Amino acid sequence: MTDSVIPVSVLTGFLGSGKTTMLRHLLHQPDFSRTAVIINEFGEIGLDHELIEASQDSLIALTTGCLCCKVRTDLAQTLHDLLQRRDEGRCTAFDRIVIETSGLADPAPILQTLMTDETVASRLVLGGVVTTVDAVNGVSTLEREDISQKQVAVADRIVVTKTDMAGSFPPALRHRLDALNAGAPVVTADHGQTASPLLSGAGLYDPRTRSADVMAWLTDAATGHAHHHHDVEIQTFAIVREEPIRAVTLTLFLEALTEHCGADLLRLKGIVNIAESSRPAVVHGVQHVFHPPAWLDRWPSDDRRSRLVFIARHIPQRWVEVLLAAIDAEVAAVSAK
Amino acid sequence: MTDANPDLVRALLAESLAAWRVTGRVERASDGALVISGHKSIRIDPAPPDAIFRWMVTADGRMRGAISLVALLRQVREALDPGYAKNRVRIAVAPLVPSS
Repeated sequence: MTDSVIPVSVLTGFLGSGKTTMLRHLLHQPDFSRTAVIINEFGEIGLDHELIEASQDSLIALTTGCLCCKVRTDLAQTLHDLLQRRDEGRCTAFDRIVIETSGLADPAPILQTLMTDETVASRLVLGGVVTTVDAVNGVSTLEREDISQKQVAVADRIVVTKTDMAGSFPPALRHRLDALNAGAPVVTADHGQTASPLLSGAGLYDPRTRSADVMAWLTDAATGHAHHHHDVEIQTFAIVREEPIRAVTLTLFLEALTEHCGADLLRLKGIVNIAESSRPAVVHGVQHVFHPPAWLDRWPSDDRRSRLVFIARHIPQRWVEVLLAAIDAEVAAVSAK
Repeated sequence: MTDANPDLVRALLAESLAAWRVTGRVERASDGALVISGHKSIRIDPAPPDAIFRWMVTADGRMRGAISLVALLRQVREALDPGYAKNRVRIAVAPLVPSS
């Protein structure tokens, strides 16, 4: 079973936003019967894992402490242990992993570990980030807590919970979520249950089908439309290129972005028409770490433009556009010699 | 900037100042550019045709070669902000193209 790539979904959201309730519901779904769950709890004595009832085929691991702070060791070690037990037949051959972060965790270092830790990165692929937001307290939490903004900003899918308590999906919350991450589909949950599949198809790349759910997160990219809100620092914008991009241009462009943007580049995801290939590349980066591109077998639609979606803080869209154009011009000039 | 659009390079430098939140301006200087910020000025010229570099960057009386625009930006930023700690993670887009 060591040859299969296992998708990892990250379930995040601020304290009390309903992550554990949602996870408990998910683990009762037949599709999640062979799921390894990593629950991170802040504090020496965790409780969340006691609240989870999973099928006998599922596996629950627990880490304590703030996952994002100890991510280089605890999470990587936990993932490594899980994979080893699976390989040795000492546990169910799970076919997916779900990580429930603590409510105070910054999801970015967690995503980086999944992409960079050499003991696990080749075996795992990010299946997507699902972020829960509480309909009752969500607006005030997003106003007050920077980490909750970041949790929303990096989401591939946003779940608004406790709508049964709030009575509805507050328009002010929808407005706030749109400002932070307009590209992520938003679904509502009632007692942890949603009408939509949550973790399937939420990610950039599905290793089993070798396809990407790019249409979901490129909804706004086709127009290159930017989403700003004057009172939030995080913005989303898209760069769209009609012409194919040279592989070297892409490499230098990503290198410059990571060098100069660092932590302000919360997430970058995109589909790129590489000049030297008929197959599209899916790129994915978190802050200064980029995953090697995943090559799709075919384009998901007739739209062959390169589309890069940025979720960033203090990074002008114009600078990104000029940077790409200038590097491409230089690479073209060198190539022509 | 013999084989690159000099206006595009100057635009990149100007936009970079804004992105770095550095107050300053970019002026034309022969075939190159002059970046001025406070009391500091950085001159950028195209490298001689036989040089391995593409750009020559002069800051604080010292001239250094830059092999690409990415290197040029790094040098300009380091000259403007001595405390700038560049991210040393290098991106390897490997493989550059798929095997099939």
